[in-house]
Amino acid sequence: MTFLNINAVSKAYPSGDGQRTPVIDNVSLEVGRGELVVFLGPSGCGKTTLMRIVGGLEQADSGSTTLQNQPLGGADRRRGMVFQSYSCFPWLTVRGNIAFALRYRRDLTETDKQDIVNRYLKLVGLADFADFYTNRISGGMRQRVAIARTLAADPDVLLLDEPFGALDALTREHLQFKLLEINRSERKTAIFVTHDVDEAVLLAHTIYIFSARPARIVERVDVAAGIPIDARHPEVRESAEFFALRNRIQKIIRAEYQQSMAAG
Amino acid sequence: MNLFAYRQPIPRYAEWTLGCAGFLVFLGLWHILANSQLMRPEFLPTPSAVLAALIRLFTERDFAADVLISIGRVWLAFALSVVVAIPLALLMSTYRAVGALFEPFIDFVRYLPVPALVPLLIIWFGIGESSKIAVLWVGTFFQLVLLVTNDANRVPAEYVESGFTLGASRLQVMRDVIIPAALPNIVDNIRITLGWCWTYLIVAEIVAAKSGVGYVIWSLRRFVKTPEVMAGIITIGIIGLLTDQAIRLLHRRYFKYLTRSDR
Repeated sequence: MTFLNINAVSKAYPSGDGQRTPVIDNVSLEVGRGELVVFLGPSGCGKTTLMRIVGGLEQADSGSTTLQNQPLGGADRRRGMVFQSYSCFPWLTVRGNIAFALRYRRDLTETDKQDIVNRYLKLVGLADFADFYTNRISGGMRQRVAIARTLAADPDVLLLDEPFGALDALTREHLQFKLLEINRSERKTAIFVTHDVDEAVLLAHTIYIFSARPARIVERVDVAAGIPIDARHPEVRESAEFFALRNRIQKIIRAEYQQSMAAG
Repeated sequence: MNLFAYRQPIPRYAEWTLGCAGFLVFLGLWHILANSQLMRPEFLPTPSAVLAALIRLFTERDFAADVLISIGRVWLAFALSVVVAIPLALLMSTYRAVGALFEPFIDFVRYLPVPALVPLLIIWFGIGESSKIAVLWVGTFFQLVLLVTNDANRVPAEYVESGFTLGASRLQVMRDVIIPAALPNIVDNIRITLGWCWTYLIVAEIVAAKSGVGYVIWSLRRFVKTPEVMAGIITIGIIGLLTDQAIRLLHRRYFKYLTRSDR
């Protein structure tokens, strides 16, 4: 029942001295429909690049990505992206930004579009700020606009690149649970990139731990088996299961890091 | 009210008062110097003599017609410059191959002094209107292309990539993302280049014209009518100031979202 497949993807970047530095080394993985997968790894390891390849924003040197057995190409509406930096359009209001996701849809009437925009405004709790320009609202609100806009486009896969990295702890936690809620209610398949172990354990059905550059899968952790999806509430962070899993992952990352330092 | 708050805005009326004060200080110094017997009036007439000359120009010489001709030349040439420069700049920014093709050549032309091109342009276009338009076009087009290319280049990659992942085609990303994102900076650069257009206008009108502000200034110089010459220069300054303020006003009105709070 795999939905999204990454098959033996490799990529290298030119490194100035005529050589090519590998950033992704032969990565294969499968994402099921409705699954929330986290790519966890040190900064700059290539996990974002892998997600951008899934999004069609970069090309793999070799290997392929498929969605429901159809090969994926350049960026389109099937893969929605939420960026680390604020990507809201400043010349549009909050409402205008979300409506942008529906702008090119011929299959929807104007009334449909308005309904969808209102629904997502409500979902991310921004109905009162609908007519604000995005530079008049806080960073956390802007990131919620970006999420609402991406969801309104109704992509098959949601790609999130450290979307909460720049936010304060409270806002981050609020949005993390919002994302879990959305993943459950909308049955949205999602790939979430982060270097924050706690965030990974809290959100993931499955975590893929990546090595330092070039990115290889070090271990696949089935988080949902240890901490059921329905048990994800703020107190879960204090549970023994959460603690154990967190420490186990931390240990794997530390060992990987030391190994890469010794090698490099 | 603190007028010297570090990097903070000051009230609107204070902006205007200080702006006018700047002119008054200049006029005051000029008045003192012109009345001090240090300068002969042929060199530095008094402000009131220049004002009288300005009134004479408009009442006795039909200077308004020359002003309108000059404004017409600037606007026509500048419009021709903008309509070619913006599409080319967008293409140069979007497709590296187009940029690689044009950039070195445009950089080369950009450094040629426009007055040096005037004789050549007169040979090509004669001494009619077209040669004046050509001088202004050459003077602004090549600058504008590079400025607008830079504006388009500075549109964040996230905006463009968001556009694609939200289902926009290439053309739609250009029309609905890149252009609106770059537009405030493009308008600012239009405002700045339009000012340069006036510099080249005077060059063009001095060399080959029978009308226009530049022609009037140059022909009065021969009779050492210094007050009239200065009045002509001041007229250009006033037109420039008004145009600049008009574009700033449009900028504030249409790009309201850029200001963090209402003023």
